[in-house]
Amino acid sequence: MHKKNNLSAFFSPSSIAVVGASEATGKISGVILESLRNSFRGAIYPVNPRYNEVMGLKCYPSIEAIGSPIDLAVYALPAGAVPEAVFNAGGSAKGAVVVSGGFAETGPKGAALEKALKEAARSTATRVIGPNCMGIYDTVSGLDTFFIPRERVQRPGRGGLSIISQSGSFAVTAMDELATDGIGVARVVSYGNKVDVDEADCLDFLAEDPETKAVAIYIESIENGRRFIEAASRCSAVKPVMAVKVGKGASGISAARSHTGAIAGRYEIYRAAFKKAGIIELNGYEDFLVACKAFGLTSSAAGKRVMIITDGGGMGVNIADACEQMGLSVPGLPEEVEEELRAAFPSYYGVGNPLDLTGSATDESFAFALSKTMSGDFYDMVIVAALWGPPALTDKLPGMLAQKPGFTEKPIIACTPGGAYSRDRIRLFHEAGLPAFSTPEAAVRAASVLSKGRWRL
Amino acid sequence: MDTGSMDRIVKEALSVGRKVLVEPEAKEVLRLASFPLPRSKAVKDVAGAIDAAREIGFPVALKLISPDIMHKSDAGGVFLNIMDEQEIEEKWSQIILGVADDYPTALIEGFLIEEMVKKGAEVIIGCVRDEQFGPAVMFGIGGVTVELMKDVSFRLAPITREEAFEMMGEVKGFPILTGYRGQTVKDLDAIADALIKLGDIVGRIEGIKEFEINPLIVHERGAVVADARAVLR
Repeated sequence: MHKKNNLSAFFSPSSIAVVGASEATGKISGVILESLRNSFRGAIYPVNPRYNEVMGLKCYPSIEAIGSPIDLAVYALPAGAVPEAVFNAGGSAKGAVVVSGGFAETGPKGAALEKALKEAARSTATRVIGPNCMGIYDTVSGLDTFFIPRERVQRPGRGGLSIISQSGSFAVTAMDELATDGIGVARVVSYGNKVDVDEADCLDFLAEDPETKAVAIYIESIENGRRFIEAASRCSAVKPVMAVKVGKGASGISAARSHTGAIAGRYEIYRAAFKKAGIIELNGYEDFLVACKAFGLTSSAAGKRVMIITDGGGMGVNIADACEQMGLSVPGLPEEVEEELRAAFPSYYGVGNPLDLTGSATDESFAFALSKTMSGDFYDMVIVAALWGPPALTDKLPGMLAQKPGFTEKPIIACTPGGAYSRDRIRLFHEAGLPAFSTPEAAVRAASVLSKGRWRL
Repeated sequence: MDTGSMDRIVKEALSVGRKVLVEPEAKEVLRLASFPLPRSKAVKDVAGAIDAAREIGFPVALKLISPDIMHKSDAGGVFLNIMDEQEIEEKWSQIILGVADDYPTALIEGFLIEEMVKKGAEVIIGCVRDEQFGPAVMFGIGGVTVELMKDVSFRLAPITREEAFEMMGEVKGFPILTGYRGQTVKDLDAIADALIKLGDIVGRIEGIKEFEINPLIVHERGAVVADARAVLR
């Protein structure tokens, strides 16, 4: 069944109640309130019968007591109290985020509570995210229910990437890394036990969300496979969707007796599902981060032809090898481009693909090479591997490359292997809006992921 | 595609408490979906086997029919290229004695006498029903080592012709079908047909959990189902 998709309470709320609000330090509700006061622009209502005031805000004994309907209620209560609280709110909040743990993930008693929560949500027509989740981090609305203190885990700025995740810790760790790398996000949803809102609902919303340019998903298990494929297909038809599925070892069809049944593990079926839905398959956390950085800063490539520009010949060949291994092609330079470059560059430059600007490289030679090789229809993307040894290279390089002289759409992926000085330069590329990686393999993986956004092929 | 008759075959097997379709039943389902099959006849005794072999014409294959033995050839239940009546009698006894020793509780329903299929490339085509995602079709280069090599590809059914060709291209052994080391180029369209149809069958017949054609013997023109089995839900 296709559920009516009314998730707007979650993504553009104008009022929020925090149920179980408290000033006690270290409490989940305290972290959430603090975050909301930091970034949320709508009305915030702490709810707790034990206080008249929390963090300088008027505190209400119950959601009903607020007196006007609100968009979203965040429940930070012990699991046992949640179903009744949701039921008593009686639908005066359109959406509920239940961050509390202690539900089906803990055993039969928790499963019974989860069933009660489901029933309370259904009978009051409340949409629920969670339980056992971190909820929503949204740079568009300023909503942040991730209850990890900001001094421990940084929040990314505004960007076009949205992440949906069954695991809160996976999402929050990725967010922290993206924030450190200066890469922004649009919406992040951790939906935990998905008693109501699941990945398919989120995909339906994100497909139509103009703020979201690409979607990354972390999956442990999917219950309604066909519904997921429908939603993911609709989304991947308009923007790139990528996913990591964990728990790959799980065996499939039990007591299978044909060869097919014996080979068909759960992961093979998930891979087939991803293919059907046009989802780019990611392999583990590192791959997930690479893909988030790539799609967080650039859009997909129209094909698999990679140009490699470097000032270190060996690194160039290494990148070319990695490209071949990952199914990308590294076509040689077209004759006219080669002639033009030979005419412009000193004879000791290695003119070809990879293009080696050697230790005599300058910012200008990189930009010139980029412009000449990428302006025609010879390549779909470029990997610029800048080794920072050549003294003529300056911190202006990333900005010059980001101007994309002579072309507009094609992705530029930067790669700066090396120690402290080189690693610091990664930030400069990110600030210029170019995804950058410290190893050639990560850069090539990014290229591979960018080449798989099938909606543009 | 006569799904009514297919459904009946599955329901009859289930009604007698069986969890599998034996080879003649699985092949009957495939026949109803217009798969090319070798001529064959199920028999109960040696005399019947000899009559059937004469009718079909030597050489023939002799195969055990038992719902308790899924992989017949591993159990010594398959003899190919039987040339005459005397050999039928010999191999018949050999199978019976072997099963009595190794699978004393296995029910023997009878034997299948079958026309020998001309040599060709052997591929495996399977379909499993996943509880969350529904039927998924598998393609692989055939043989008994398929579980070891796992050189296979999957797609969720129903699949398009394009997806069927992608599946073939994804396995490492694909060149075996396209003229590797002086072999002839095999009929890839026939494989695609088989993949598409098998996905359709499992998609439509709810009682089937797994269906497998192994091997499908592929020639320059056409492909023939040499063996098939199904697991029921």
